[in-house]
Amino acid sequence: MKSTVASIGHARLDALLHIHGAHRRFATPEGGIVSALGGVDLEVRTNEFLTLLGPSGCGKTTLLRAIAGFEELDDGEILLGEQPLSGVPAYRRPFNTVFQSYALFPHLSVADNVGYGLDVGGTPRAERNARVAEALALVGLAGLERRKPKQLSGGQQQRVALARALVNRPRLLLLDEPLSALDRHLRQAMQVELKALQHRVGITFLVVTHDQEEALVMSDRIAVMQSGRLQQVGPPGEIYDRPANRFVAAFIGNSNLLVGTVTAHRGDSVDIETVSGLRMHAPGGRFAKGDRVEVMVRPEQLSLDPAAGDGPTIDGVVETVVFVGADRHVQIRTRTGDALTALQRHVAGAREPGLEPGAAVRVSYRPEGIHLMQGEPA
Amino acid sequence: MRPARRPVRWRLVGLLAPATLLLAGLFLVPLGIMATYSFLSPGLYGGVEWEFYPFNYGRVLGAPLGDVEEFDPVYAAILLRSLRLATITAAVCLVVCYPAAFWVSRLPAPRKNLFLFLVTLPFFANLIIRVYAWMLILRPTGFLNTALDTLGLAAFAPDLMFTEAAVIIGLVYVLLPFMFLPLYAAVEKLDPALLQASADLGATPWRTFVRVVLPLTAPGILGGCVIVFIPAFGNFVVPALLGGAKVMLVGNTIEQQFLAARNWPFGAALAMLVLASILVFMLAVALRAGRANPSVRS
Ligand SMILES: Nc1ncnc2c1ncn2[C@@H]1O[C@H](COP(=O)(O)OP(=O)(O)OP(=O)(O)O)[C@@H](O)[C@H]1O
Ligand SMILES: [Mg+2]
Repeated sequence: MKSTVASIGHARLDALLHIHGAHRRFATPEGGIVSALGGVDLEVRTNEFLTLLGPSGCGKTTLLRAIAGFEELDDGEILLGEQPLSGVPAYRRPFNTVFQSYALFPHLSVADNVGYGLDVGGTPRAERNARVAEALALVGLAGLERRKPKQLSGGQQQRVALARALVNRPRLLLLDEPLSALDRHLRQAMQVELKALQHRVGITFLVVTHDQEEALVMSDRIAVMQSGRLQQVGPPGEIYDRPANRFVAAFIGNSNLLVGTVTAHRGDSVDIETVSGLRMHAPGGRFAKGDRVEVMVRPEQLSLDPAAGDGPTIDGVVETVVFVGADRHVQIRTRTGDALTALQRHVAGAREPGLEPGAAVRVSYRPEGIHLMQGEPA
Repeated sequence: MRPARRPVRWRLVGLLAPATLLLAGLFLVPLGIMATYSFLSPGLYGGVEWEFYPFNYGRVLGAPLGDVEEFDPVYAAILLRSLRLATITAAVCLVVCYPAAFWVSRLPAPRKNLFLFLVTLPFFANLIIRVYAWMLILRPTGFLNTALDTLGLAAFAPDLMFTEAAVIIGLVYVLLPFMFLPLYAAVEKLDPALLQASADLGATPWRTFVRVVLPLTAPGILGGCVIVFIPAFGNFVVPALLGGAKVMLVGNTIEQQFLAARNWPFGAALAMLVLASILVFMLAVALRAGRANPSVRS
């Protein structure tokens, strides 16, 4: 008994779902075997907005389907609190899914779609109608109760799918790329709306996306996946500022990635030299002299302003300047031959350093803006 | 909602004219002849006498009767039996084909196409030969009973020949593809994600079947039943070969009136009654379908 109590220690109490060593392999028609999930450990916390982020084919949908109960794991387990879910059919799991294709029932009206879960669950008519109306109001679709799904726009259908899931007040809401069918403007509006909605209803959201920007905007935590494995799980800021490895650094946001070796260790910081011979200074007390490291510098951490204080500097030559709305991406070739991208905020009327291609520039940075990751041994 | 009024499209009218004329010529004219003949008196050696003679219907319905014709309840019985066997046939076809349609729709594409080809394969052989084959199977010393015999199950060997069961077997065999194809088309269109959505919302498999699968495949069920029921009702080859004189259906009764009895007006009257029954049946189906799915628009 005692061990049980201990295992419900504080770390587990606020966790809704535990996934341990989840494996799922598929036999492909080509005769090979794909490992869609290659040992995933993940904890979904109560009331959090957790995003599963990764490139196409990395196993996000497979994991979501395993949680929903549409896919059996070959190995590993999923626990709801203390209860193992293996063998529990989808219709008995207290989760609801917003499908990527929405999967609205074409023969039912909007109201009957939303009321489906309540009807099946035997909710009394009056309560059912009240909750359907409430859910539709929540997603801003009041007044469209009698339409059929075909008579709605894509964005409206997406809201119906959301209302249909939310109305059942599930312990966990699973959303598989819920916004991918929407145009850019609607998608951005819905990202904010989804986050606000999650806050309002107080339901745990697990959202799948392959759009890193979307993940950064919405999430309390992001779980980054690649090839069936989790690479890093953490709040957006942490994932962005301190990616665990080269993959995460490259997948999320823009970054300059260099490979180097620690040449000197000085208390909390280290000196490094990239393979091309560029010397840099960075925090990284955990590395020892001689370690191979991956060096990440976000473009916005590199300043081209000549009056940018007294930090360390790198000399180089401007190669190209790419205008992307609010910013300019200035591509620089350093003396040592490394390519670096620096970000220059575009302010009308501001005096800008000469950024024509070919111009010599001095890039300055603050050591804290550099993030070191374990590199592969040479 | 009513779609907005559209201007008449003359090009469409032009394109539809040949088909319309062909249908009118090939269906309405013979139908008119049949309707006319059913109100004439039979000639002595076939053919018709051109006098108004409403009593053909009286033999089946009981009125009106002239001094020559007599009401014979056997014809009403034959009509009812035909109705009953056609209904059973449609029901058996449905029960057999519905699960099969699901099974085939989940097959990988090459095997799916093979199966669909197999379903239509019987159409390549003559109907009478195929029904004859069933005689060889079902007759007392046929393949079925020989097989049971060799298995030592002679005690269970049925004598199916010239029974309603034999007729139903034959009708089901002949009409199965007509049920399968529309059902398959409906099942194939059913998005599997909808079944998962239903389960996800807490519906047991049975609930999902009743609330999602059945309503969404209803058009296929309805279509299949209609196009099995109608030919089953009027079929004359199967009852003639497998039912014989014991299981007369309206189809072979009509055939006999035209060929053996040479009473064309009475045969025509029976045919008109079959037509009327089917029209009533179709009207009921159409009304039901319209009520079940009022939003269907073209
Ligand atoms: N039923 C299946 N049979 C065979 N392989 C499958 C099956 N389902 C998924 N896979 C494979 O498993 C891998 C993971 O698929 P999954 O759908 O989980 O990817 P995903 O991360 O959701 O990708 P996307 O962002 O493109 O939706 C892919 O390589 C895919 O080809
Ligand atoms: Mg997916």
